[in-house]
Amino acid sequence: MSRVFAQARSGLVYAGLSLAAFVSIFPFFWMLVGTTNTAPDIIKGKITFGSALFDNITNLFAQVDMVQVFWNSTFLAIVGTVLTLAISSLAGYAFEMFPSKTRERVFAVLLLTLSIPFAAIMVPLFVMMAKLTLINTFTAILLPSIASVFIIFYFRQATKAFPHELRDAAKIDGLKEWQIFLYIYLPVMRSTYAAAIIIVFMANWNNYLWPLIVLQTNENKTLTLVVSSLASSYYPDYGVVMVATVLATLPTIIVFFLLQRRFVEGLTGSVK
Amino acid sequence: MTGLKLRNVRKSYGAAEVIKGVDLDISPGEFVVFVGPSGCGKSTLLRMIAGLEEISGGDLFIGDNRMNDVDPAQRGIAMVFQSYALYPHMTVRENMGFALRFAKKPKDEIARAVNEAARILELGPLLDRRPKDLSGGQRQRVAIGRAIVRQPDVFLFDEPLSNLDAELRVHMRIEVARLHKELATTIIYVTHDQVEAMTLADKIVVMRAGVVEQVGAPLTLYDDPNNLFVAGFIGSPKMNFLAGVVEQDRVRLPEFGNQSIPLGHLANPPAQGSEVTVGIRPEAFKRGGAAGLELTIEIVEHLGNESFAYARQSGGQMLTLATEDGRGLQPGQRIEARFDPAHVMLFDTSGQRIR
Ligand SMILES: Nc1ncnc2c1ncn2[C@@H]1O[C@H](COP(=O)(O)OP(=O)(O)O)[C@@H](O)[C@H]1O
Ligand SMILES: [Mg+2]
Repeated sequence: MSRVFAQARSGLVYAGLSLAAFVSIFPFFWMLVGTTNTAPDIIKGKITFGSALFDNITNLFAQVDMVQVFWNSTFLAIVGTVLTLAISSLAGYAFEMFPSKTRERVFAVLLLTLSIPFAAIMVPLFVMMAKLTLINTFTAILLPSIASVFIIFYFRQATKAFPHELRDAAKIDGLKEWQIFLYIYLPVMRSTYAAAIIIVFMANWNNYLWPLIVLQTNENKTLTLVVSSLASSYYPDYGVVMVATVLATLPTIIVFFLLQRRFVEGLTGSVK
Repeated sequence: MTGLKLRNVRKSYGAAEVIKGVDLDISPGEFVVFVGPSGCGKSTLLRMIAGLEEISGGDLFIGDNRMNDVDPAQRGIAMVFQSYALYPHMTVRENMGFALRFAKKPKDEIARAVNEAARILELGPLLDRRPKDLSGGQRQRVAIGRAIVRQPDVFLFDEPLSNLDAELRVHMRIEVARLHKELATTIIYVTHDQVEAMTLADKIVVMRAGVVEQVGAPLTLYDDPNNLFVAGFIGSPKMNFLAGVVEQDRVRLPEFGNQSIPLGHLANPPAQGSEVTVGIRPEAFKRGGAAGLELTIEIVEHLGNESFAYARQSGGQMLTLATEDGRGLQPGQRIEARFDPAHVMLFDTSGQRIR
């Protein structure tokens, strides 16, 4: 009796999981199939592989300077990630290692800013960038993202698990604070960094709204902007759009798989 | 070899004073143990000596140099932490050599120092492992090895054995004692465990609430404590404290049916009628003592080598008696517990010893 019940239960669980897997995997599959089909076939709903892959790729490279666009996205994502991690992890470290009443208040204010949606500060930010004559520069993209409150918060929480006695031991071994950060904290917290890299890299790579507003000339456009403009043209060539989408998806997938194990460790507590 | 001098050393966190003026002299090569209940400021004082906490007031001398504002790495100290604090991303060898490597010492000198420490602590087979692949006892040995490699003038230990199980703790305690013999370096060792203090120390510093209560050799503290706190803290099982009133060269014990015991020889005997606390160690009860108390045994514990009896008189205060020939004792038995009046200690109402 109870065995039948247990079997029925696990059957239901598997059915649910299968459905969830299908919903998350099918769009990827469709995207891959789409790269090999012509636009009319895709619109008709064809979900088997076709033979238009080569044409789609050629068309894409004919319409867009893909090398430049890919470089723009890569540059922004990598430099943005490095700068964000450097600044925000330092801040998280400092908030946790040097607590004071004033700093706690500053931290509380920082956390409050998390509740302000980007749309609300978009216009003032744009005006600010315009006054600094940074419109249509990569600096305008990088500057506002470097001090990420979320990443500061994330690092502060992770730092709570960093044994303070390690820092004391390092001090006695002759390390200055920045050396402790560089030679002890950083390697010990590498899982935390890995998880943060994935989060920040994806956010930067997929960043759309702000680049759309700030980057105005074609040679500065990023991949997300190109995908979206291809898809919203009057007669979108979906085969071409799918090729661009695959290119836009690949780097995040690569980064994720490279750091996947550390990512999980980083989210579940990295200090061992 | 290097000694230390502390002069009116103080530490405050904001308004809270945690170390309330400590004066202490530590001779070169001495093994000094700071002991006291949890939260009394032992770690804080040790960390001030190490340079990990700022000194709010007073002077700290290591050797002849005032070290108040000197960098931890320049004080000639090495520290072993309760959590071991090994760098998890380095092998045992790298952990032990890190300070020297960081000080840009030549490679062969580092290797020699690490191997020597590994020899002393029998760490040879573990040198290429990482801390997470070691047992607690092994980690502790590596932490000690890391300290040895730096060839410090003074070793600082903060409750190094607290995270080990009982058996390993005894083993490591002997290791530490052996190490002190072999290296003959000054050691300051913090513990809340009075057995560790008694067995390891040349000199014990008993602390309470940021104040040094008494400094002395282990047996001096046991035989001749200055106050109630030290008397109660040193010795296991704990000393019995009996409320008493001084009456004509005797102390009357209201809790024990007004039996009385002789006052003993005192240089400054207390005034007639004054209230005192009588201290008798459980192991002071012996056959043939010149004084005695009539008691009823309530509970007996046999440990094999000795027995503990918990006894009192008709609902009064419970006394602990420890004896080596107590196998015959039975609950409910009425006994006359004999003791030598010379082993009785008296304390006044403020807890100070009356001598
Ligand atoms: N950073 C700090 N801020 C405020 N109080 C502290 C701090 N560190 C320690 N204390 C206080 O100082 C006292 C002594 O602490 P500690 O030296 O760790 O005690 P012990 O090592 O004897 O157990 C404790 O009451 C503790 O609460
Ligand atoms: Mg402590």
